[in-house]
Amino acid sequence: MSKKGFLGGKNSNAYIVFYSTVMVVIVALLLAFTSLSLKDKQEANELNEKKNAIVASLGLEAGTYDQVIDAYVVNAAGEKVAVEGEIIKRLSNLPENYAAGEYIVFENKENGEVVVPLTGKGLWDDIWGYVALAADMNTIKGVIFDHAGETPGLGAEIATPKYQAQFPGLTIYEGADLVGIEVVKGGAKGAAHSVDAVTGGTKTSDGLELMIKDCLKCYDAFFKARQAEANVEVVETVNAE
Amino acid sequence: MKNKTFQSLTNPLAKNNPILVQILGICSALAVTTQLKPALVMGLSVMAVCAFSNLILSLLRNTIPDRIRIIVQLVVIAALVTVVNDVLKAYVYDVSKQLSVYVGLIITNCIIMGRVEAFALSNKPLPSLLDGIGNGLGYGAVLVIIGFVRELFGSGTLFGYQVIPECLYEAGYVNNGLMLFPPSALIIVGIIIWVHRNANKDLQEK
Repeated sequence: MSKKGFLGGKNSNAYIVFYSTVMVVIVALLLAFTSLSLKDKQEANELNEKKNAIVASLGLEAGTYDQVIDAYVVNAAGEKVAVEGEIIKRLSNLPENYAAGEYIVFENKENGEVVVPLTGKGLWDDIWGYVALAADMNTIKGVIFDHAGETPGLGAEIATPKYQAQFPGLTIYEGADLVGIEVVKGGAKGAAHSVDAVTGGTKTSDGLELMIKDCLKCYDAFFKARQAEANVEVVETVNAE
Repeated sequence: MKNKTFQSLTNPLAKNNPILVQILGICSALAVTTQLKPALVMGLSVMAVCAFSNLILSLLRNTIPDRIRIIVQLVVIAALVTVVNDVLKAYVYDVSKQLSVYVGLIITNCIIMGRVEAFALSNKPLPSLLDGIGNGLGYGAVLVIIGFVRELFGSGTLFGYQVIPECLYEAGYVNNGLMLFPPSALIIVGIIIWVHRNANKDLQEK
């Protein structure tokens, strides 16, 4: 009690306020420094993960993105539009891209297969993914889904290879109508446009169905144009023969 | 004295193991041990946080006001965990994704606050640092054992490499699916505790 030190001793209010202020400032500086110095590396990692997800949906090995993928942006009419900056970086604000009517396409230069990025809402948070379509712009080649915070074991099952294995081979068009993929409760086996929902993950499954349909719809004109192109080529080859 | 300092490193490895004897940090031990690699990285992360939080708080111990003692501890621990999380994201991105929220939850790991409160605040920096490393190692060692068993029997791999030969699968061997679920970790922890208590008779309650 008698010993009074700096600012009235270790347990005075003044000392406590001073101590916590200094501590917080030091910690803030330290964290800001670490965060800034590691940011570039972290962003490179995230970008790399996206690139690998895109090629994985096409069934290609990781690290092949730069060799095989041609990325561009199309508008609602399916026409290519010129945009600034690296296209893959746009994936970090995909919803804004959709809202602005700028739809991103990743095309496999070798065989004309395309991957489109999807974005939607699950039960708790955002869900997103990639759908790879074969060159006929109808058959699904593969899908990758991921989520920010769905329930592990329930909604989060959409991110598992086992769940995603249901998709390849399904088709998104019924005649000229884009029907997307229906997520149904039981009995999806053998149907051309439906997959099983996740047990106990109804809201996430609904979100998934909505995401696939809403996002693919934006590309309707683009897909149809490509389908028409493919048909012309078929007709030409038939004629040539 | 020298011997006592050294003991603060070795004691938590066996006689006073945080998981096996104090039954702390079980939550993350169940969550991140389906494979060996995340278990190892988690063990190293906890060791780093535990060692440095012990060291820093031991250095500060005479300046910390009693009334905000816990807050100061939490700020130091949380800052260290944030740094560890950033480093993992930058250098071992895939593992950091697997560990997900559990890195952030190191902040609330009872082992770390327990050691700071029980040891670092009343001991000199060097023994505190060793105590932190020892407890981190003790925790990490148990995690690695669990991760080893779970990955070996659950997936037939170690560090992602196939170790159970293909011919065994052809002969009808099947991976144990239970090993991939959290209950198996609890069972393994239980077995390790049993073996441990059997070997250390003085730990057994009357």
